[in-house]
Amino acid sequence: MSTLLLLVVFLPFLSALVLGLTYLFDTHKRVNEKFYTILGVAVPILVTILSFVIVLDLMSHSSTTVVTAVAFNWLSIDSFHIDLAFVADPLSAVMISFITFIGTLIHIYAAAYMSSDQGFGKFFSYFNLFLGSMLLLVLASNPIIMFIGWELVGLVSYLLIGFYNKEYENVTAANKAFIVNRVGDFGFIIGLGILFVAMGDNGFTFADIKENIYAIDNHTLTLVGIFLFIGAMGKSAQIPLYVWLPDAMAGPTPVSALIHAATMVTAGVYMVARFSFLYNEIPQVGEFIAIIGVSSALFAAIIASYQSDIKKILAYSTMSQLGYMFVAVGLGAYSAGIFHVFTHAFFKALLFMGAGAVIIALHHEQNIFKMGSLKKALPLVYITMFIATLAISGIPPFAGFFSKDAILNHAFMSEHYTIWVLGVITAFLTAFYMFRMLFIVFVADMKNNHIEHKALSKALTYPLIVLAIGATFAGFLGANEAYGGSDLFKSFISLNDINYSISHSTEYMLGFVNVLVSLLGVTLAYKYFRTSPQEPLPNKRVRTLIINKFYVDELYDRLFVQNLRSLSNFFNKTVDEKLIDGFINNVVHLNLYVASKFTSLQNGKIQHYSIYLLSGVSMMSLLLIYILEVR
Amino acid sequence: MQNLLSLIIFLPISAVVLMGLFQVSLKVLRVISLATSVLVFLLVSYLGLNFDPLQSMQFVEVLPWIESYGINYFVGVDAISYILLFLVSLFIPMLFVFIWDEDRKGFFYNLLLLQTGVMGTLLSLDLILFYLFWEMMLLPIFIMIGAYGYGLRQANAMKIIMMTVLGSMTMLFSILYLGYLFFEDNGFWSFSLFGLSSMSFSSDISIILAAGFLLAFSIKIPLVGFHTWMAPAYSSAPTPALVILSAIMAKLGIYGLWRFGFTLFEGPLSYYAPLTITLSIVGILFYAIHAIMEKDLKRMFAFSSASHLSLITLGLFSINIYSWSGSLYLVATHAISSAGIFLLIGMIGKRIKSIKISDLGGIATVAPKFAFFFAFFALSIAGIPGTGGFVAELLIIMGAFKYSFWVGVFAATTMISAILFIFWMLQRTIYGKVSQKVADGFYELSRVELLLLLPLMLLLVLTGIFPSFFISFFEPTLGMMLFQIGDIS
Repeated sequence: MSTLLLLVVFLPFLSALVLGLTYLFDTHKRVNEKFYTILGVAVPILVTILSFVIVLDLMSHSSTTVVTAVAFNWLSIDSFHIDLAFVADPLSAVMISFITFIGTLIHIYAAAYMSSDQGFGKFFSYFNLFLGSMLLLVLASNPIIMFIGWELVGLVSYLLIGFYNKEYENVTAANKAFIVNRVGDFGFIIGLGILFVAMGDNGFTFADIKENIYAIDNHTLTLVGIFLFIGAMGKSAQIPLYVWLPDAMAGPTPVSALIHAATMVTAGVYMVARFSFLYNEIPQVGEFIAIIGVSSALFAAIIASYQSDIKKILAYSTMSQLGYMFVAVGLGAYSAGIFHVFTHAFFKALLFMGAGAVIIALHHEQNIFKMGSLKKALPLVYITMFIATLAISGIPPFAGFFSKDAILNHAFMSEHYTIWVLGVITAFLTAFYMFRMLFIVFVADMKNNHIEHKALSKALTYPLIVLAIGATFAGFLGANEAYGGSDLFKSFISLNDINYSISHSTEYMLGFVNVLVSLLGVTLAYKYFRTSPQEPLPNKRVRTLIINKFYVDELYDRLFVQNLRSLSNFFNKTVDEKLIDGFINNVVHLNLYVASKFTSLQNGKIQHYSIYLLSGVSMMSLLLIYILEVR
Repeated sequence: MQNLLSLIIFLPISAVVLMGLFQVSLKVLRVISLATSVLVFLLVSYLGLNFDPLQSMQFVEVLPWIESYGINYFVGVDAISYILLFLVSLFIPMLFVFIWDEDRKGFFYNLLLLQTGVMGTLLSLDLILFYLFWEMMLLPIFIMIGAYGYGLRQANAMKIIMMTVLGSMTMLFSILYLGYLFFEDNGFWSFSLFGLSSMSFSSDISIILAAGFLLAFSIKIPLVGFHTWMAPAYSSAPTPALVILSAIMAKLGIYGLWRFGFTLFEGPLSYYAPLTITLSIVGILFYAIHAIMEKDLKRMFAFSSASHLSLITLGLFSINIYSWSGSLYLVATHAISSAGIFLLIGMIGKRIKSIKISDLGGIATVAPKFAFFFAFFALSIAGIPGTGGFVAELLIIMGAFKYSFWVGVFAATTMISAILFIFWMLQRTIYGKVSQKVADGFYELSRVELLLLLPLMLLLVLTGIFPSFFISFFEPTLGMMLFQIGDIS
């Protein structure tokens, strides 16, 4: 099993290297797309199979069994001993199974989506590199290797957002993503630094930290918890570090589906769940995380309700769903949080891929108000996206219902009623803006719709069907007794959850509320957007505010970008040229000035010289007397 | 090989003397220069194979020189100096390849002289000898900037000389006074590092003497406040001078602190630690922000270098095994990264006769391989994982946290400092629309250029993926030094 685990991580890196070198040195474009497709898709398939073998192996043993593999010693200084080592426990096993599975589907989809693109080989090299980095992040046995994966996924995300780099704006979006992520990582590494000092000579693997967590005082743990979470804010696009995610949609749609919806952005949630033993010690930080989560969820949902770009809507919806996940892990419902990561991966990847299919069919049109009545032209896309929309809106029995229900119930049972209410409001908005999008794109009769549709290839549509099956049935894995399931997911993943007992009647009551608000959202969307919707105009103050995303981008630009640039100029013009060089020049001028005064002394007149001589001698005599007196 | 180190030091200068005497033609000059530097590289590699990481000073040679003043020709190598020795011996032949088409003979002579100067500085264990080589390496730089440079080359050459000589003077004073103190104690003179380090003197005097060294090294690094020579010198320097300036000579300030500072003045240097660490912290951010609006690439990466050297200094003064390992690792990896980036900037200059950012744009479209390497080296400076810089920065940050919480937090700002300017720079140079100048004159990397860049890239990747292999080479030496000065962490 160990060898398989090593292969899972290293194969994607290896193929990325081969693909990348081939692309870079194939100057005359002699290598055709087939080569890239075969290698680029075969490796994810292989890795998926290997992952499933590992997961099945874990399932056949008791819950405490883990598969470990050590590649080599990465760093060893004094007591700081870091191995490049991997651990597949139930948590990471769940993660790798859906990352590889959905990753493979998106690779297949991308082969069609990107076909005849100039940078086809480059794309697959990056895509495989991403897969490897993500698996490195998830499987790492210690936070340092995890951090390497964490940084690498950020780098690949940068490269892929700026994939069409001839457009200046795309590169701006890529830069923004990387820089904002690095701000988060700045927090993350501070957390690691504090933890490193606190751990002393006790090792630095997750297992070591878990064992020694009781020896560290609560104040230190609080700091560690907060700073690590700042890293998660960046990676998982939570307030205030979310600004990069909507812009990240500049990348090709498969990238949005894989990196900015299903996998990378959930790394923050995974990290908190991985450190569950730490966050359980500091519930006050957990509450902070939950508050950030629910605020992000609501905030993003409000913005999403007024967007016109199909990918931007989905981006804000991702941010919103990530907020739910943080509510869960913040309040100690780690398995519910990871379960939402799991179900979300299916329906959100599906939504993005469906949106990509629409965009391709309409020759790169992304404004939903220029689409409309695509139901007949793209029936398969419509049906699968309809399923995904039902799932994200929390309509039973689709996948999202069970995971969202588990999160909201936990918030209610742990007596965080404000968070629960905000969560329910977000659920209402989610149903509203998702069905708004669905109706406008597929159902509504738009007058300006004269676009010729492009036929879609099977590689684009078949993955949608597979994901739609997942979005329909994945929820049953986590259905609890009240809904006739047996909490399979929770018992397999066996995280350190904080549990509350809940009666079936309360369970039904809360579930009923969730379904009710969702249906309300659907109804409202139906009422306003079923027939001939209008693009929202910024003609009212509040609406203008929301359409412009509360001017947060402008605020950040003014606050950070502009100020840093002025500061840079100030350093150059004022500090360097005036202050330091000015000082040096003044010293030089002073020298010259003093020298010019002294030169007048040497005028060659004997009588002047004798006066200097006399005064010099008398001064020295005085000095001598003074010194002797003092002695 | 008994006199291996002397051979390494004096081979280049002997070549200069011989070729000068015979007034060789340009063709011969090129070939012999390259051959000499390759030979030196082979000798240094041979040295590395016979190097024992568990021993500190090795291959020591002592010859009496000015006996009445106890001045000896005293050289030796340990892991710290070997790393820089290896890198400089690697870079010089690469630079000869780079300037192969150059028809000004002075380039070749000066580069060889510079090599002797740098290697002598690295290997000297006698303070007078060290001072001699330290001054000697300044001369070729002065000539290369002043005679073959760009822009206000003479003024800028003057500026670098004036400021570094100021530092050298205070250092010379400290060296002479140290020798005198030794004479007072023992009745005979000595300038040997180990002789002087065995002395104990009052803390007041040692604080003043340490200041003499500190000033010289602070200007060389340069720490904030001593840096105004840097950007003009960098922007005027031709590529070979630039590569050596940033990749090697700036690191010699760090090396000097390590070799002489911490051996002679462990007490006073911990006295200066708060000040130096403060300057370093200010430097990391000040230089990085300074770089944002720079209009030409050489100036931008001058400030980028200074920012990283501030981080290295911070690691040095945090005085523990993690920060020291990180600092030395960053010395090496940053040398490689900056050699790569300045070679690439030189190649841009060769192609379009400009290194202004506003003249660039869209290189990725015209020359994808060039863009790939340019982005790689730029990102390696920003410390992306998979390159050695990431490991080094991580270690410095961890060590800084061992020193104190706040120093750790400020050390961690290096995570964001470099990216402030690098990504925007990449956007304007290799991405976006193809600029007029790039469209007119830009061409893809030639095979020779590719061969120059590949080994550097490979080194960065290997140091990023297998750090324990490289760090085990110098960690014992650092451990021994820390043991001697009493690990204060």
